[in-house]
Amino acid sequence: MSTNGLIGKSVKRVEDKRFITGRGKYTDDIILPGQTYAAFLRSPFAHAKILEITTEAAKAMPGVIAIYTGEDLREVNGVPCGWQVNFKDGTTMKEPKHPLLAVDKVRHVGEAVAIVIADTREHAVDAAEAIMVDYEDLSCVIDPLKAAQPGAPLVHDDVPGNVCFDWNLGNPPGEVDEALKNSAHVTTLEFVNQRLVPNAIEPRSYNSSYDEANDRYTLYTSTQNPHLIRLLMCAFVLGIPEHKVRVVGPDVGGGFGSKIFHYTEEALLTWCSRKTRRPVKWTATRSESFVTDAHGRDHVTKAEMGFDNEGRITALRVKTYANLGAYLSTFGSCVPTYLHGTLMQGLYTTPKINIDVTAVFSHSTPVDAYRGAGRPEATYLLERLIDLGAQELNIDPAELRFKNFIPPFDGVNQPGYQTQVALQYDSGNYEGVLKKGLEMAGYENFRNEQKANSNGKLIGIGISTYIEACGIAPSAVVGSLGARAGLYEVGQVRVQPTGKVSVYTGAHSHGQGHETTFAQVVADKLGIPMDDVEIIHGDSEAVAFGMGTYGSRSLAVGGSAIVKSIEKIIEKGKKIVAHKLEASADDIEFANGKFTVKGTDKSMGFGDVALTAYVPHVYPKDLEPGLDFSSFYDPANFTYPFGCHIAIVEVEKATGKVQLKRFIAVDDVGNVINPMIVEGQIHGGVVQGVGQALFEGADYDENGQLTNASYMDYCMPRADDLPMIETGSQVTPCPHNPLGVKGAGEAGCIGSTPAVVNAVLDALWKGGYTVKDIPMPLTSERVWKAMQ
Amino acid sequence: MDENVLARLVPGISRLERTGDNTFASTLAIKLGPVSGSFNGSLELEELKEPESFVLKVQQKSSIGNAASAIKIKLSPVNEQQTEMEFNGVVKLSGLLASMGQRVVGGVSGTLTKQFFSNLESELERKQSAST
Repeated sequence: MSTNGLIGKSVKRVEDKRFITGRGKYTDDIILPGQTYAAFLRSPFAHAKILEITTEAAKAMPGVIAIYTGEDLREVNGVPCGWQVNFKDGTTMKEPKHPLLAVDKVRHVGEAVAIVIADTREHAVDAAEAIMVDYEDLSCVIDPLKAAQPGAPLVHDDVPGNVCFDWNLGNPPGEVDEALKNSAHVTTLEFVNQRLVPNAIEPRSYNSSYDEANDRYTLYTSTQNPHLIRLLMCAFVLGIPEHKVRVVGPDVGGGFGSKIFHYTEEALLTWCSRKTRRPVKWTATRSESFVTDAHGRDHVTKAEMGFDNEGRITALRVKTYANLGAYLSTFGSCVPTYLHGTLMQGLYTTPKINIDVTAVFSHSTPVDAYRGAGRPEATYLLERLIDLGAQELNIDPAELRFKNFIPPFDGVNQPGYQTQVALQYDSGNYEGVLKKGLEMAGYENFRNEQKANSNGKLIGIGISTYIEACGIAPSAVVGSLGARAGLYEVGQVRVQPTGKVSVYTGAHSHGQGHETTFAQVVADKLGIPMDDVEIIHGDSEAVAFGMGTYGSRSLAVGGSAIVKSIEKIIEKGKKIVAHKLEASADDIEFANGKFTVKGTDKSMGFGDVALTAYVPHVYPKDLEPGLDFSSFYDPANFTYPFGCHIAIVEVEKATGKVQLKRFIAVDDVGNVINPMIVEGQIHGGVVQGVGQALFEGADYDENGQLTNASYMDYCMPRADDLPMIETGSQVTPCPHNPLGVKGAGEAGCIGSTPAVVNAVLDALWKGGYTVKDIPMPLTSERVWKAMQ
Repeated sequence: MDENVLARLVPGISRLERTGDNTFASTLAIKLGPVSGSFNGSLELEELKEPESFVLKVQQKSSIGNAASAIKIKLSPVNEQQTEMEFNGVVKLSGLLASMGQRVVGGVSGTLTKQFFSNLESELERKQSAST
């Protein structure tokens, strides 16, 4: 196929013009005729009985149109979970109802108790404050280990022991126990992967309206996947016929996973818009976001890694308690299992692996996917263990990794690598990225400097070599693992009569730059200027049923669907040209936007072919007019990007303050369409990963109050906390999709966290402090305490 | 217990009405770092052993969250002139109060305690000067 060199070029993002000039259009910017505004009264308690709700005074307040409580919605379904995980004994996981408004009981701080609809936002907020609720405060549990203990306060009366499910994956536990017993050394680590709050710059926002004349609904929503929201809301919650509902995800200001899920407010606003016959809008305040956007991580883990005398990994045994929060969020069940347990092979040839996960409810905000989703937790576990193993065995951590890497394989000449934990890696060259990373970091020099330790400073270097499963996902595979949706993508390429091209993708851009990357692919493949291509996404009325954006899937799955449609267009174009130029279709070549009869100078431009397709005066008899193709692409496998992240830190002896001096990221994400966008994704991800390592963490007190629910107390990374990020790349193409791409959205966030923590512990260890672990975030206080 | 005295002692109190033998309805205005609000609720005296001890139970509601506390106050005579006052208890905060005010809560409670004692001091002085 032709190329005009657009693929692989750092084209500046076309969408940025509207974003940086303040012309983006977000859900909150949309004001509909007759617009009303909603405000929520939310639970101040983690666990309490609702004794009485008094709304009379609030209802009489100015501008109030309606007030609803859980009592009004008793018969309405709750929001569903999209992934079924079974208990080890085969029984289905516990799925307590997740009601749109709390009924009888509240189960986490921030749970909505009542909704007020008023003519202005201020009136709605005032009236919500005037609602009186009598609660009976009950004891609560937040920690997942404590929640699973006998006698812990129950989150749901019908979920004994608060256990949603238990789950096991890998080799039979007996074999792993045996292998550990026979190991020369076993490294054990008990640690917490702390809970994070997602913090997208745009708070969640919904605007729902009902058109009585046509019995149709429109929901504008800050979502990563409009079709999925429509399906879940219509079929599972409200029972509205899907063809009567339009869901639009306009410009969305960041998601990081937190906008995948079908939230109670989306369905509730839609329900209210029908009740009130008015459009209803709500945008979360930052305080609401902190306690209602699904949180991330929150695992408590014990992991053991066995080594033989040569330092080769013999076995891995993992036990994780995963906190699900008070309710099952849309993908809460699959994050600690199929996105976490399946990554336990890492980059290593570990012959025996077993992971056991107990997922528990607690009186806290629901937990679900957050950038990386399960894979950062898996990488943290493995990379901390191998580093600790290296310290304990007194082997260089880089050397220990080289010793255990899966050898390079391209997935074409050599087969994919079958792991012990269900997945088959597509292609990889793991030693390649580590070599490159070490070179960029000047590893040997650093070690010498560290040994000399001339100025008495504590300096450390931390390596993390990661792999992730992206390009989510082959529908048949995820279906067999419990997914309740397919995970293909749709891409429609509509060539207009003038040769301009409209592309409709089921992927959704909320920062990823699809309008640029996808246009590059289409313009390159069709040999036309990028300006002639428009990418349309996010509107269920415009785009066929697509699956949206998460799991670093948009280009690998969505881009591949578009390529399939382009292939169909070129094939049809050849037939049109063959007829016009009186040649055989087999003799037509397409290159650089031109159809040519092989070996002749007879040709037709792409624009002429488009016009002919829509003005089919001279046209093949058996061919339909038009040049418009849609394709659904279901990937054959996940994609497996991998890389090596290296952090260099300095730790202040007197205070424990950690300073990140250098950060090197070498990522292999397969073929790259736009290097600048990939680099931007890596940068953003690295910053979020560093945030987890050094700054962030949701702090609940024993009463279930989130005590750092604002930017005064929740520490986000800032530019001045970071050095310039040094990026390097390696390309091992994905063997199973037409673009050879693997995905880059989550890589930075997956690789970076353990690199930073390993670097701090390396600094301490080499400085004579034998510290096994410091719980994240590594604040000065925690590092200093660990040194005492 | 004289509710007027109680009203003068408790910092931030703007209304205190007796609703039962040992129960009171109150309105309090409190500022906790970045959040401030007006609280409505009840004060209840339990385990009343005059003149040695009692437990003060406070339940307060506001749009910025709720506060519930139980404080045991114990008085024991040291000598003719001096009385030792011992108090300890727990306070449970919820809502915005807990999520935004947490890191200043220690400081604020210290200030309020000091204020309580200075109120108590001036109350005693007032009584003394009234009786002399």
